[in-house]
Order: sequence, then structure tokens, then C-alpha cells
Amino acid sequence: MLTYHASQKDHQPILSLTGVLTIYTVAQARQEIPARLAKRKAQVLDLSGIEELDTAGAQLLLWLKRDASSRGTELALAHHSPAVVEVLDLLRLTAAFGDTILLSPPSPSRSHHGS
Amino acid sequence: MAKTILIVDDSISLRQVVSIALTNAGYEVIEACDGKDALTKLTGQKVHLMISDVNMPNMDGITFLKAVRLNPSYKFTPVIMLTTEAGEEKKKEGQAAGARAWVVKPFRPEQLLVAVSKLILP
Amino acid sequence: MDLDKVKQTFILEARELLAAMEEALLGIEEDLNPGESINAMFRAVHTIKGSAGLFGLDPIVRFSHTVESVMDRVRSKQISLDPTLVSLLLECHDHLASLITSTQEGVEETPESHEGSQRLLNQLIPYLEGNGVIESTPVRVAAQPSGASEGGWNECWHLSIRFGPDVLRNGMDPLSFVRYLGTLGKIVHLASVVEKLPRGEDYDPETCYLGIELDLDTDADRQTIEDVFEFVREDSEIRLLPPHSKVEEYIAFIRAMPEDERFLGEILVAGGCITTKDLEEALRTQKAETLEDGVIHGRLIGTILIEDQAVPPPVVAAALDKQKKFQDRQAQEMKVVKVQADKLDRLVDLVGELVIAGASANAMAVQVHEPRLLEATTIVNKLVEEIRDNALSLRMVQIGDTFNRFRRIVRDVSQEMGKSIELELHGGDTELDKTIVEKLSDPLMHIVRNAIDHGIESLEVRRARGKPDTGSLSLNAFHDSGSIVIEVADDGGGLNKAKILKKAVERGIIREGAELSDAEITSLIFEPGFSTAEAITKLSGRGVGMDVVRQNIDELRGSIELESYEEAGTTLRIRLPLTLAIIDGFRVGIGTASYVLPLDLVIECLDLGPFLESEENHLINLRGEVLPFLRLREIFRMPGEPPTRERVVVVQYGETRAGLVVDRLMGEFQTVIKPLGNLFKQVRGVGGSTILGSGEVALILDVPQLIQLASEPSSGLRRRPATHLPPTHS
Repeated sequence: MLTYHASQKDHQPILSLTGVLTIYTVAQARQEIPARLAKRKAQVLDLSGIEELDTAGAQLLLWLKRDASSRGTELALAHHSPAVVEVLDLLRLTAAFGDTILLSPPSPSRSHHGS
Repeated sequence: MAKTILIVDDSISLRQVVSIALTNAGYEVIEACDGKDALTKLTGQKVHLMISDVNMPNMDGITFLKAVRLNPSYKFTPVIMLTTEAGEEKKKEGQAAGARAWVVKPFRPEQLLVAVSKLILP
Repeated sequence: MDLDKVKQTFILEARELLAAMEEALLGIEEDLNPGESINAMFRAVHTIKGSAGLFGLDPIVRFSHTVESVMDRVRSKQISLDPTLVSLLLECHDHLASLITSTQEGVEETPESHEGSQRLLNQLIPYLEGNGVIESTPVRVAAQPSGASEGGWNECWHLSIRFGPDVLRNGMDPLSFVRYLGTLGKIVHLASVVEKLPRGEDYDPETCYLGIELDLDTDADRQTIEDVFEFVREDSEIRLLPPHSKVEEYIAFIRAMPEDERFLGEILVAGGCITTKDLEEALRTQKAETLEDGVIHGRLIGTILIEDQAVPPPVVAAALDKQKKFQDRQAQEMKVVKVQADKLDRLVDLVGELVIAGASANAMAVQVHEPRLLEATTIVNKLVEEIRDNALSLRMVQIGDTFNRFRRIVRDVSQEMGKSIELELHGGDTELDKTIVEKLSDPLMHIVRNAIDHGIESLEVRRARGKPDTGSLSLNAFHDSGSIVIEVADDGGGLNKAKILKKAVERGIIREGAELSDAEITSLIFEPGFSTAEAITKLSGRGVGMDVVRQNIDELRGSIELESYEEAGTTLRIRLPLTLAIIDGFRVGIGTASYVLPLDLVIECLDLGPFLESEENHLINLRGEVLPFLRLREIFRMPGEPPTRERVVVVQYGETRAGLVVDRLMGEFQTVIKPLGNLFKQVRGVGGSTILGSGEVALILDVPQLIQLASEPSSGLRRRPATHLPPTHS
């Protein structure tokens, strides 16, 4: 189960994810997250409620990030939960995301453009 | 929270040995005696991995695997199939159904434990 | 739960599987559709092999492996199951059974068992030829020793992995392999390769795009590291570079990596492939939705795909319904519970004590004349009676399993003797006490062997007598007035009376020229010393005389009747009590003592008389029938005078009736049978003892013996089986 919750913090729209972001939920999340982000014009994804993350989930986060940047916007991942940190550490993907772990303000993306 | 493993085999002794080995390693274990029993036991259960024999009465392992893959809750749950060298044909059938993890019978409990650990750690 | 206990479970399980295998093997030749039997046999061996492997029982694994391979070829119809192979597989079954027995005794392998395995394996191997499977032992991939790390510029293994697109869908998470690698050693360096992850709409969230480059510092060998990826090896690209690799090797390695060649087209191909799979998935989903009423419920495949197969209610309903059906069937299957035999025995023992205690309470209630207490004890007694019946019925087992074993024995023995014999089994569902069934198996085995050996004639003789080539042997079980009858009948030559007489004289059992009735002659075969005691083993039943058979049946409080027609066949009838533990008794008194008769055998009670001709004949005229009678007072040499009005209890056993003369009739009584000590074994007419409610001991009368005594009042002390009464009127 993955649930979505939109809120505002410091006049900044935030989309929070709660539950598991795994192979079981990515297909749905791939549709829902971009749609909800677009609707609220949100640029921050709060990951504090993620209880479980797997390769499929990590791929989705990376795709979201790249998708945003290819449309000329930024997507910041914030408030990484321990489950998220563990996976990003294990796959050494922290650099690929370029987000400051555990802090909400987005930092400039260093993600690859083209390959 | 401990990871839960379902073991499906018609041999009580095999199930018990596997249960002991997995429980000692820190997993929770649910036992079922054939595919049908397994489907019943799965109801309302969060299972992280399934181990299933191929050759069983009532419902064999391949049919069970197919049924499990149709269930949205277990569609992507890793399944280890227990097989024999003699079961090449079954293996092909199983691969068509999406089975990738095979452990060849007879095996020692440690061998199965290694296979399980590759897919999930306790 | 400890392993030793599980091993016991394994042994029990293996025994059951072997029994199933044997049954299947024996039935296979008559089986019109042997597919299921062959499957069952295969499964039995397969399961034994699998479980034995868990316990490291290598001799069993090695042996069953080859048997299984042969079975598999039978199953896939590569070879046919001819009688020779059936016999060989039966031998294999026996050998496996003996290996299991050794395991139970804690012996893994003896030189003999090894030799036995080898001998059978050699016979099995020809059945595997042409299949390339001549190896008799499963080959394990031996771990390859690798160059141990001795220091150098790179002490780590380098792993380059590109996971296949379907890895995630197959339930495998690359993360788990990385985590597992972490248990083998230290991941010094890791880089995720995410170049294949597409932008925009080409991205499929369930496809794996991940690749990993990592350095692992470990003592593990190449095989172990490679095996980490064994479940994804087929779909993925895995390259290993051992430690101490040279720079040139590294460069060559890197050049061989897919990203360097920029295989972008590959990604697209992979994408297309995925769509096909998803389509299949969606088709299945749609089909499940359609199942309800055969009409497609609006959703098109595309919609399903887009909506991500989010659980459609009808599918859930169908799944739930199916699960409920499974549960129902499960509940049915669970109706049989296995209980350890000794637990049942203990229960029956306790119920026995309960019966005695209940009777004692009842007796006291009668003494104190307290109506309310009497009422209470009556209810308790009624319940105790029901518990008794239920407890006893728990011990009842069908004789079918015992009967089925004879298929094998008949097959083996008839082959041994070169005779063709057909075995018919009837009444396999007849239930009798577990203990009786167990003790019956040896005598029955001997009787059957005897029938095949001595009863059914050789082919030449049969042809000469105009009988069919195939001899017939039947085992039959049924209930008959409170006892169970087991018949073994053959269509053989019958007992040769002249031969029996000659042999009996030779062995000094009877005098030369003694005049004996037909029944008396046939009963001679049960005399001790009649059989040629080649005495091999008691277990196999070979060489044990018929006297031992009769002794065994006597111990079960049963009797044997023999009916034989020269050149036409013999029927041997064993009559057994329903149970050994508790019976409904009928209490009678002589002087101050009381005795118990099994109620089932009591026909009626009447006053003594009128006598036929004179009292000394020991015969009464019972409504025109001649009824021999016996005064228990005389049999047990009771002192004192009989009352003026003596009573007769008419008892019947089998076809024979007799009257037992007693002083008093004391009514029905639940009787817990206690075995008699050895001292009393010699006392005639007594079969056991019981404890009365008052605490007194009463003897249980052995009715068959008494009837026999009554029927042949002059026969002295020699015991004989019951014979038929003379014609009813004189």
C-alpha cells in the first residue's frame, strides 16, 4: 500500500508518500506521483513515510527526478526515511540523486543529462 | 520484524527440518502440505518468500506458482522451487511460469538457507 | 522440536510412502490407467530421497536417486513397466525399507546393505542406458579452489552485473544479492549503473534497468561468488574478475561491458518484450473477470494495463470463492487424525479402570439403598458404557491393509514355487481390534503360504484334474454373531486324509489303526509336532508348524475351523472376538464364586432339564434339539451341593451350541478383561479374569473350550477344535 498526501510548508507544496514503494506499488505510483505533483505544482517529495523501498522503488525515484529535469523543473527528495537511506547507501545512489539527505530544501541537481 | 517464509512440501519431515533451519536463522515459517493448502494458508498473510516442491499431490508446485502469480498480493514474491535432476521437463514448465530460483533435491538444510539468504536476509 | 524427533517423523513418513509404493506396484499390472499409480510411486521415492538428503543419509539418497531416475523414465513412457521391472522395483522397495530400518536403528550403512544397494543399482542401470544417465550418484558441483589472495595491487574480486529486465517481475530484488554479498565479505567499492533507465514514457516501472559494478574483498571462491547470482544468471549478464588481475585484463573486461558498446537498441528490444509479457498478464486478468458470467466486463486490455491491474472486485470475489472451496476441501481432508497407538492403548486401559470404578460405585449405591445416588450412578454407568464403546472403536482398524500385504506375499511365493495364483480379497473394510490385527498377521501369513505351497497343485496336476491353470486363493473377512471370521480359501487339492493319517502315525501323534472321524483327521495338522519343523524364522512364518498358528489364534481367544474337500479345495476359518479389552459379560454364580461369560455368546437361559434318556448322557432335549451340557460345578470341582433348581445357560460358538449348568444367573456386567497369569494358562475353560465392582476377582469362561468339552464329554484332556454336532434328533 502506498498513499499520497499533499500539504504546504513554508508556502511550498509538498507531496508526502506513506507506505511501501516496491515492485508491488511502482506501477501505480508511476501514474499517481507525476499527476499529483503536476496538479499541485509541487517540487518536493517527502519520503519520511516510506517503510520499504526496493530496486523498483529506487528506479522510480530516479526516473521521477530525471523526468522532472528533462521538463526543465526540479524535483527534490526530502526527509528520507531509514528504509530509503539504507537502499540509496547500498546502491551508492546518493550522488546520483544529489539530494541532501534529511534536509528539505532542494540542492542543485547533479544528475546526468544524457548518457 | 522477522521475514516470513512459506514452505510447501508434502513431506512432513522435510518441512520440519526446513522449518527448524529457517527458524534458527531468524525467519518466521509457515508450513503447507501442498499447493491447495498453501493457497489457503496464504490468505491474509504477509509472506516474503515461498519455497515450494514441484511434485505434490492435490496441487503441484507449478500450478501453485501460476496461482500465486495471479494473486496481486504475491505477484512478485520470490519463490524457490524444489526440484530433482529428473524433473527437467517440469523445470521448463516452471520457467515458463516465471520460476527462476531452483534448489535441487536432495539438499542439506544449509544449502537451502544459502539460497534463501540470497533472496532475503532475515 | 529437535532433529531427532523429526528423524522419527521421517522414518514413519518413509514407511508410509513405501507402503504406498508397494501397493501401487502390486496393483499396477491390473491397473487400466496406471498413470496415477506410477506418479504415486515416483513421488514416494522422490520424497524419500528429498528428506533423506536433509538428514545427510547418503546411502539412501544414492540408492533412491537411481530408482527415481528409472521411475521417471517409466513415467515419461521412455521405458515400459514390464513384470521384470515390477519385480526389480519391488526388490528396490524392500531394500529401501531395510535401509530405513537401519536408519531407525542408528546404522547408516553396513557392508551388506552397501552390497545390496550395489547389486540392485547394477540391475537398474540398464534401464537408464540411452538416456546418458549412467551415473549412479547425483553429481554435486565441487567448489573450485581459487587463487587465494596473497596481496597485490588488487585484492578484490571485481563483479560486473547487468540484471535482466524481468528480474524484478520474477520476484528477485538485486538489492538482496548485494546484501548477501555483504555477508560473504566487504564491499569495498560499488557503483550503480543506471544508464539504461529510460526517460519519459519508455520507462516501465516493473522492469529492471539496474547494473552494478562492485569490488568485493572476500575469502570466498569463484563458485560461491558466481552462485550468489544463480537465480538470475540466465537472464542477466554476470562477469567476474578475480583478484590480482592485470591492467590489460581489466581493459579487456571493460571493453566487453555492454555500456561501452552503447547497446541502446537493446533497451528498446527489452521494452518491447516487456509489453508482450504485460499483455499476457492483462489477458489473464481479463479472463478472470470474464469468468463470472462469461461476459467481458467493459474493461479493455489497454485499460487494464493502464490501470495497472489494480485489483478488480470480481477477481477478488472469484479468488475468495476459490479459497473458500479450498478450505472446505481442506476441512474434509483433515477429518482423519493420526494418533500414536500407545496413547490409544493407555486410553483404553483407563476406560477399563473407569468401568471397574463405576461398577464399584454402583454396587455401593445398591447397598445403601439411596434412590438419588442410585439414579446418579446409573447415569454415570450409562455414560461410561458409551465412553467404553467409543474408546474401543478408536482401536478398531480395517483389516484391508493386512490383506493388501498378501498381494505381495502371494505374488512372491507363487513365483518362487512356479505357480500361477490369483488372489481375491473380500471384506477389507471389516474392522477389528488393532492388537488382534497385528497378532493375526503372522498366523495368516503362514496359512496363506501353506495354501500356496501345499494347497494349490502344480500346473500339471491342475490340468489333469480339469481345473483352470490359475489357482485361486481368497481372503475373506466378515462379522458373524459377535465375532469376526476370517476365511482363507483355496481351490487346491484339499487335505489328503490318508497322507495326514500316515504322517500322524509316523510322528507318534496317534496310534496305528486309530479310528478317527474326518474332522478329527483334518484337525491333526494343528497338533504340535505334526509339521516338519524346518524352522527358519518365526518372522517370515516359514517352517513354523500349524500348531503355532493355532497357539497364536488361541492367544487371541479365537478358534480355527477347517473345511476340506479332496481335489476341490480347503477353507480355513479363523473366528476371533471383536475386541480384547472390554466385553459385555454375563455373570453366573456357582456356590460363592461368580464367573463371567461373554454376553455375545449367550443365546438363552432356562431351567435344567428335561434330560435326554438319562442325566449321565449329559444331553438335554431343547425343544426337540439335542443339547450337550456341562456342569461348571464339576468342571471347577466346586465343593458343596447344587441348589435344587439348577439353571442352564445356552451358549453358541460358531455352529456349535452347548448348555452350561450353573447355580445362579446374576445378569449382565461390563467386563474388563485382565490377562491370566501363566499359572492359569493351563486351567481349562478359563480365558481370563476380571475385577468385579466389589473388588472380587471373577474368572471369564472360555466358551469355545467349554463347548468343545461338552460336545465330547469322553474325549479326555486333549484339546481339539470344535466339531459339528451330530444330527439334531435321535
